[in-house]
Amino acid sequence: MKRAFQGLRKSRLVAASAGLVLGLAAATACHAANEIVIGASLPLSGPLAGFGKYQQWGYQTAVDDANKAGGVTIDGKQYTFRLIVRDDKTDPNVAASNTETLISRDKALVMLGSCTPALVNAGALVAERKKVPLVTGCDPLGAFRSVRKWHYVWDIFFDEAELSEAVFKMMDDLGVKTDKTLALLHDNGPDGKVVGGQIWPALAKKYGYKIVQKTEFPVDNMQFTTAVSELKSKNPQVVLVDAITPQAVSIRKQMAAVGFVPKVLDMEKGAEPEQFAKAAGKLSDGVLVGAYWDPSFKYPGASQLSKRFEKETGLSVSQHIADSHAAANVMIDAIIAAKSLDRAQINKAIAKTDKVYVVGPVKFDQTNTSKLPIAMSQWQDGKPVIVWPRDLATGTYIQPK
Amino acid sequence: MENVDIVINSLVSGVLLGGVLALAALGLSIVLGVMGLVNLAHGELLIAGGYLMVFVMQPLGLSSLLALPLVAVLMAALAWPLQRYMLQPLADKPPESAMMTTFGLSIVLQNVYIMLFHADTRSIQFGNGVSSIQIGPVGFGRIYLIGFVLSIVVILAVHFLISRTAFGRDLRASASDPVAAAVNGVDVRRVHGWTFALGAACAGVGGVLIGSIFAFTPISGATYLLNAFAIVVLGGLGNIFGTLVGGLLLGVLQSLGGLMLGDGYRDLVGLVLLLLMLALRPQGLLGRKGG
Repeated sequence: MKRAFQGLRKSRLVAASAGLVLGLAAATACHAANEIVIGASLPLSGPLAGFGKYQQWGYQTAVDDANKAGGVTIDGKQYTFRLIVRDDKTDPNVAASNTETLISRDKALVMLGSCTPALVNAGALVAERKKVPLVTGCDPLGAFRSVRKWHYVWDIFFDEAELSEAVFKMMDDLGVKTDKTLALLHDNGPDGKVVGGQIWPALAKKYGYKIVQKTEFPVDNMQFTTAVSELKSKNPQVVLVDAITPQAVSIRKQMAAVGFVPKVLDMEKGAEPEQFAKAAGKLSDGVLVGAYWDPSFKYPGASQLSKRFEKETGLSVSQHIADSHAAANVMIDAIIAAKSLDRAQINKAIAKTDKVYVVGPVKFDQTNTSKLPIAMSQWQDGKPVIVWPRDLATGTYIQPK
Repeated sequence: MENVDIVINSLVSGVLLGGVLALAALGLSIVLGVMGLVNLAHGELLIAGGYLMVFVMQPLGLSSLLALPLVAVLMAALAWPLQRYMLQPLADKPPESAMMTTFGLSIVLQNVYIMLFHADTRSIQFGNGVSSIQIGPVGFGRIYLIGFVLSIVVILAVHFLISRTAFGRDLRASASDPVAAAVNGVDVRRVHGWTFALGAACAGVGGVLIGSIFAFTPISGATYLLNAFAIVVLGGLGNIFGTLVGGLLLGVLQSLGGLMLGDGYRDLVGLVLLLLMLALRPQGLLGRKGG
């Protein structure tokens, strides 16, 4: 009797649990009828998490502001926007499957992009195939264009050729005195190979620099003792690095360990987020990185967005809050302009974008790209300072110590 | 042929780093040798040491050298319940049960780190370790030397603990024949608990040194676990001095690999060594055949 009662209780418990699970699953898949779901797959963990958290804030802030402003009215019906973010763990395969899930299960009407070519392109290919509009603000334009002719995916970012050249232009323009010896250290990721393996060597030749060392390494490599020993021995005065943050920190610390200090040190990608300056400490002083946005730029809302981010999060600002905020607003503006939930109509409205956003002017060309102007930022006392071009500079160039 | 200065600098760095890597592998070696447990969460225990340093010791304003033993004690205190309540109940099960549990633990720990500390890159500012020491043409980081010396000290201390103390006697007995040890009054469960805690303490100290020389994220543990396996197999399972020899050898050979093939091929050198050693001398350089 007791056993039968226990069996009954057990079966009820199983049924109740199954019901709860089904209910939760249904709840996650269904949204209010008056919501427009905007999906985004972002690197919230893994090596690129330093970018993802800023993008998430930028996307969410734009969505919240749009909702506060009343959302959008389509065919007499009021809609609000809802952002659903999934973590792609810095894995392109996960970025692709997240995009599938966001569109099919989460019913995302439109999408916003991840960060870096590998992640953005992986998700973008899914969105393109499903004819779902996707706007991204974190995919260098050359890498974006090289994938295919895009119809439903739009990219607002810098051109890597311009970014790669910025450090050479800066040295020329500011009259930084070096003996024109140069070393290149870059990872073997898609953009590392292009920037470090092709663009920088060509630019070094163009600007009259002699390459004394060229080192390529896997993206996840952490030990650089041989490479820095070579740097110490060959003593180039200009060192250009293309690596993600953990590797950039490791390289900078190992340079200091052998007592090597170049006159110019540019660390693209890895030196961009604030975590680089925190992890490298004093060693971040003087490290350059290409920039496309700073709160000091005279774009509408730039300074306010920066202050708001710092107030809400307690963190120092990153330029990724601006590109993500702008990408989300381009998408929201397009939905409002299209006055339709039809993806093709929204896509047409994106194509017509011609407005100055917080990140700068946005107007797409035939390749679905909108180029942002480039500046050079430098870490000084743990803060990013724009040192070039002169008309945008918020500080003076210093040499690494 | 590379410039002689580059070769010498790389080899010196290889030896010094090898010492640190040996310490990072010591905990894995002890746990494997005594408990027969392949601890796949060892990399995450290393990273835990780094996080304890960044988020507990440094905010308290403790000097790095003073903080190291505290990290070791804290790591042991955190690890002991893991062994007692997660691994001990699996003692009667096939060995893969405990191994897979540590695999699950490694994933859980990675996610706990992400939740607690975010996924940011961290690096430890170890006193003035960032400065460089220059001896003639040879230059290396002060932290490399500090790490090397600390590693030797810790390895010798662990050797003393295992070879000269009552706990060490119980530990060796438990490793040799747990049943016979239990019959002779050794509390094998307790020994396993303390062994796991000792392994975690060593991993924590190793993690602080690794985090001072390089950088780490919540998912960096796997990279260092691979090196640790290579060192343990090179030196011989559970052999304390074998671990040191394995670490130094790996450091030097990785440097040679880096010189000949590039820094990106260091891990390849470690893996090739691991496979060669498993094929030719599975007991390791200092291990005894069959035991």
